[in-house]
Amino acid sequence: MSGSMKSILFATVLCVVCSLLLTAASTGLQTRQQINAEVDRRKNILLALGAVEEGRVAAERVQELYDTYVQSLWVDGSGRCVDADARQPEDLPVFIYERDGAVQAYVVPIDSKGLWGRINGYLALENDGSTIRGFTVYQHQETPGLGGEIESRWFRQNFEGKQIVDADGNFVSIQIAKAGMVDTLPAERRDNYVDGISGATLTGKFLNEGMRETLKRYEPVAIQFRQDRSGCPGGS
Amino acid sequence: MGLLAKSQTYRAISEALWQNNPISKQILGICSALAVTVQLNTAIVMSLALTFVVAFSNLTISLLRHQIPRNIRIIVEVAVIATLVILADEFLRAFMFDISKQLSVFVGLIITNCIVMGRAETFAMGNPPWRSFVDGVANGVGYGSILIGVAFFRELFGSGKLLGFSVIPASFYEAGYQDMGLMVLAPGAFIMIGLFVWLEHALLKEKK
Repeated sequence: MSGSMKSILFATVLCVVCSLLLTAASTGLQTRQQINAEVDRRKNILLALGAVEEGRVAAERVQELYDTYVQSLWVDGSGRCVDADARQPEDLPVFIYERDGAVQAYVVPIDSKGLWGRINGYLALENDGSTIRGFTVYQHQETPGLGGEIESRWFRQNFEGKQIVDADGNFVSIQIAKAGMVDTLPAERRDNYVDGISGATLTGKFLNEGMRETLKRYEPVAIQFRQDRSGCPGGS
Repeated sequence: MGLLAKSQTYRAISEALWQNNPISKQILGICSALAVTVQLNTAIVMSLALTFVVAFSNLTISLLRHQIPRNIRIIVEVAVIATLVILADEFLRAFMFDISKQLSVFVGLIITNCIVMGRAETFAMGNPPWRSFVDGVANGVGYGSILIGVAFFRELFGSGKLLGFSVIPASFYEAGYQDMGLMVLAPGAFIMIGLFVWLEHALLKEKK
């Protein structure tokens, strides 16, 4: 057999063996990985709500808190909540946080474009439908150390207490300003801006756009909450 | 002892751990050493993952060394290494999800870590399987020892913790002690690694 034939044969056998190994590992571990990812998403919902502490939390505790306080519902175009089995295809997912007999807050999933890939996270809003309670990111492909800072605690905490409406109550969304520029804004607009990350202007721009789109789609439910703090009628 | 000291396996171990340590002597694998040493637990997991990859890539390459065609040997080495890295990554995501999230891209980047490739090319291609395997483990441990050493000081001085537990007593903070912000940032790791390199070179010189 000639030299190059041997090389090709060897490479083929190697590729087949490697891909078999990887396929086996990937399918064998898939269920576990999916459970982990689901627990992680639930933990981030709780984190956005401030219902669980930062850092490592046992999976059982996440499940327990989530099952006790969080209701996963869908909202239709008029801002009404519907159960999962009654949902229409265009309805949006929402998570209702109920504690001490009253709706405290609600969470909307953020699925935004980023610089290198999607940015997935959750934005929790108080039951007044305009104040941000918390923000988390559970998946992103931004540059570590620059755009990757969106998942850091200091950046996420910037969102707490900010408003998605202006002083007159009109929807304006929330904007990430350039790093260190929030203080130069006029005082009445500061509530709509959070401090950005230096070196990650583009990540901020994409996230701004993604959050504006999401919040705009969720305006009907926010309006419900602004009128009545128990908001989102219709859900069981 | 005399016989042991002369054995090639022993030489491979002591070289990797000390005289020719991949990080402090060969200055390889610095990128990941800067990135994952903010906390001890990520450094430990990273060291284990790298040790696993180097040891088994060395073993596999060494077993195949007479069969691998010379002209495609680098490609074969990369394919073997990449397979092992993806395996390690899948396992971490299934069993250590939190840590795998913190390590993010750096597990995947083991593929490009010069230590793994270097050992496969320079050692495993010319040595029998068992010795290659031991060489891989020793290089992983040599890499890990520096990583864990750096992470120990970075976590201790940077956040006052070890393995996530606070170790600096609260009374220190009340007396005005502050965590060293520099240690949490990449330059802190550079300085720390530099100190380790200095220490090792100074000790080696003294011996001679």
